[in-house]
Amino acid sequence: MYALDLHTHTCLSPCAELDMHPAGLVGAAVRATLDAVAVCDHNSAENIAATQRAGRSGSLAVIPGMEVTSEEEVHILGLFPDLESALAMQSRVYRSLPGRNDPDVFGMQVVADEYAQVLGFNDCLLSGATTMSVERVVSSIHDVGGIAVASHVDRERFGIIGQLGMIPAGLALDGLEVSARTSLPAARTRYAREVEYPLLCNSDAHEPKDVGRALTYMFLQEPTTTEVAMALAGRNGRKILGGGRPMEDLALHILDIAQNSIEAGATELDIELAEEIAADQFVIEVRDNGPGMDAESLARATDPFFTTRKTRRVGLGLPLLAEAARAAGGGLSIDSKPGAGVRVRATFRHGHIDRAPLGDIETTLMVLVAGHPDLRLRFRHQIGEREFELDSGDLRAALEDAELGSPEGLALLRETIRRGESGLAREAGGQARSES
Amino acid sequence: MTLAETVDRIEGTILAAVSEAARREVRGGYVGDLLSDVMANSREGDVWVTIQKHVNVVAVAQLQGMAGIVLVNGRQPEPDMLKRAEEEHIPVISTPLQAFEVAGILHSLGIRGRRTT
Repeated sequence: MYALDLHTHTCLSPCAELDMHPAGLVGAAVRATLDAVAVCDHNSAENIAATQRAGRSGSLAVIPGMEVTSEEEVHILGLFPDLESALAMQSRVYRSLPGRNDPDVFGMQVVADEYAQVLGFNDCLLSGATTMSVERVVSSIHDVGGIAVASHVDRERFGIIGQLGMIPAGLALDGLEVSARTSLPAARTRYAREVEYPLLCNSDAHEPKDVGRALTYMFLQEPTTTEVAMALAGRNGRKILGGGRPMEDLALHILDIAQNSIEAGATELDIELAEEIAADQFVIEVRDNGPGMDAESLARATDPFFTTRKTRRVGLGLPLLAEAARAAGGGLSIDSKPGAGVRVRATFRHGHIDRAPLGDIETTLMVLVAGHPDLRLRFRHQIGEREFELDSGDLRAALEDAELGSPEGLALLRETIRRGESGLAREAGGQARSES
Repeated sequence: MTLAETVDRIEGTILAAVSEAARREVRGGYVGDLLSDVMANSREGDVWVTIQKHVNVVAVAQLQGMAGIVLVNGRQPEPDMLKRAEEEHIPVISTPLQAFEVAGILHSLGIRGRRTT
């Protein structure tokens, strides 16, 4: 299981910050606990090699990419199997990219090494449009062995739907990307017509603090373009598990807490969401059967600088959830005794303006099961009178021969969650406020 | 006024659906290159002034029931756009003039836009 942010820029992009030099990007990605980033500068591949070198020292996979601007001013991400393939695309792009950059107007285009040293300035008009139609861009990316993803389809400007009104019929895209401004469930509803395309969530970060603000979880053997291509096509057991915004979506806070529990040794996990819209209440509860915490650990559990983890941290976990709950007129409580598991309960005012969106609970459950196929996971989501319940034990029994972590198992899990959650949404009708 | 009647005034050449251009009454106009915006704000019978020459331009014009498309700055349509325009009977005109000039001339002929809000 890998966490990937497949759309980031370096200081080569005129609109990016200077501290997004190769090492700056890698540092931000490591802090965001990503496994891989794709470097996708505008119409250029010149900072990929240095970022790959910087990534090797930080144990971060760096995927070669490029954000190509079509003649219609549509942004298309190309992700390439290796540097040579990205450079082959760069030659094609440079041949069709008119104009020269004016750094005072558009910004500096800094070619840098992995030690943050400036090697030079690119003087192509990287912020400009190529003379290639969107169809040519996609076929060129495929010609050099890459995969083509429509960038930030939720943005009007430079997004394919904004620029062209709709996705052109027959365009051979491998996927669609939504940015950090849209949650995955909102994207699934909004782009239902384009649903045959797999959806990715990426940050489109132009400065370090935004790296990993949106990410995609994939089930891969290793974080490479070839594996990502298989996940997008749903081949060989590779899979997109989901995605979202770790700083915002409550579902990803829940994922983080659940992963804490599992790392602490829990084998059983209960996740409950209770939404009472009329009573303006939203309660999240996560319970585990792990070793529990003593009074001292418990007191420090919401301190952002405290962690019992020996391995890397996936996110900010409890402190972030506590903050999100307080901001929405609620609070967080933790009950635990050594040997008696942990119960985390966060309450929110459902309709509070600052209540973070739930985001994609499907992602949470998919990532947990894919990463820990033996976990006994019970999930309950209640909205008013209605509820949806899921028990990994029941699913395991229904599968007979296959494992729950197998492609068949994950497909059954996803189908069960989608049916349950969409049933809930229908029953809840217009009660629930729309979330984006 | 028909679309064909405006062609000389905007120094245009009809490239697709010639007979349709002579039939179609122009009831208003819209200028835009962001197709989602055009879908949201144009109306039936508008002549659409744009630099976009992607095949989706025809799809949007068809969807909105527009009178026709004027490509400015001497832009020549992609072959698949022309083919689609013929199939859908959407007139396509190309002119060396810029969008501002074309809109001004059409306006002086009595063709109007409307307030969006």
